[in-house]
Amino acid sequence: MRESDALDKNPHVSRAALESIHSQAYGWALSRCDFNNAAAEDLMQQAYVELLSGSARFDNKSSLKTFVFSVVQNLARSRYRRIASRLRMAKQYQQQASVEMDCVAEPDRDPNIWNVVQELPARQRDIIELVFCRELTVEQAARVMGVSTGTGRVHYDRAKKALRSKLQSEWDLANEVR
Amino acid sequence: MKSDKELRDAVARSFGAAGQDSVPSFEKVWGAAETQVAASRRRYVGFAAVATVAIVAIALAIQPSSEEPPYIQVVDLLGSTSWSAPSDVLLPNKSFDIYQEMPALFESTELAGGTLL
Repeated sequence: MRESDALDKNPHVSRAALESIHSQAYGWALSRCDFNNAAAEDLMQQAYVELLSGSARFDNKSSLKTFVFSVVQNLARSRYRRIASRLRMAKQYQQQASVEMDCVAEPDRDPNIWNVVQELPARQRDIIELVFCRELTVEQAARVMGVSTGTGRVHYDRAKKALRSKLQSEWDLANEVR
Repeated sequence: MKSDKELRDAVARSFGAAGQDSVPSFEKVWGAAETQVAASRRRYVGFAAVATVAIVAIALAIQPSSEEPPYIQVVDLLGSTSWSAPSDVLLPNKSFDIYQEMPALFESTELAGGTLL
């Protein structure tokens, strides 16, 4: 059934539905761009362009959120790889500078746990973020990442194990210091 | 941190809502995307129009003329053309017949098996 505000080139996608998941999709785009707001906004705009022009067609086989996350992921992979690596380098430099200046870059986060998550391999980090922070199932997360559900489960299990082990050793270290 | 739930909660808490307060409005991003798509369509239409005009112009330029080709009269044609063999230049005098005078060949007087050699 076609909704009244459905897109011309994407009849299964409505503007209202996109608006309802906009902030979540933006959060994912932000994460794909190393939390650079300008790059994330540009990425979201490109994702909407893909939907408006029909280059990315939603066929109702998954949830719209999964689909939009996949579009963002694919765009980030293809268009923002170079930019992302530059941003990462800039961020590393920034972090070094901020350590030297003794200030906290991301005050909203528990730096220990988040740093541990950031140290995981890319696929494990992504699936942890999608499942734990973006409220997707492992199947949906695997779809977003463009891997099979089985592979997604393997990444998920390995990520949890790695996370537990790293966090445990961090806490053991912290307790020893106390 | 034994259960998955504890792990999930800890990570989600650590992830927090960083960046979420600076989410650009949907209207702004959507509007920019619509403008970009419209501009791209305009470019496409412009390109298509230019291409169509170019194709029509080329088609008109290479179209065969509808006028009847003028025929040349045979008499005029014969009067205006001449032909000579390309090998004529090899002869001492043009049109010289090399067989007009037969060269005198020496005849053999020696016999071999009753036949002149």
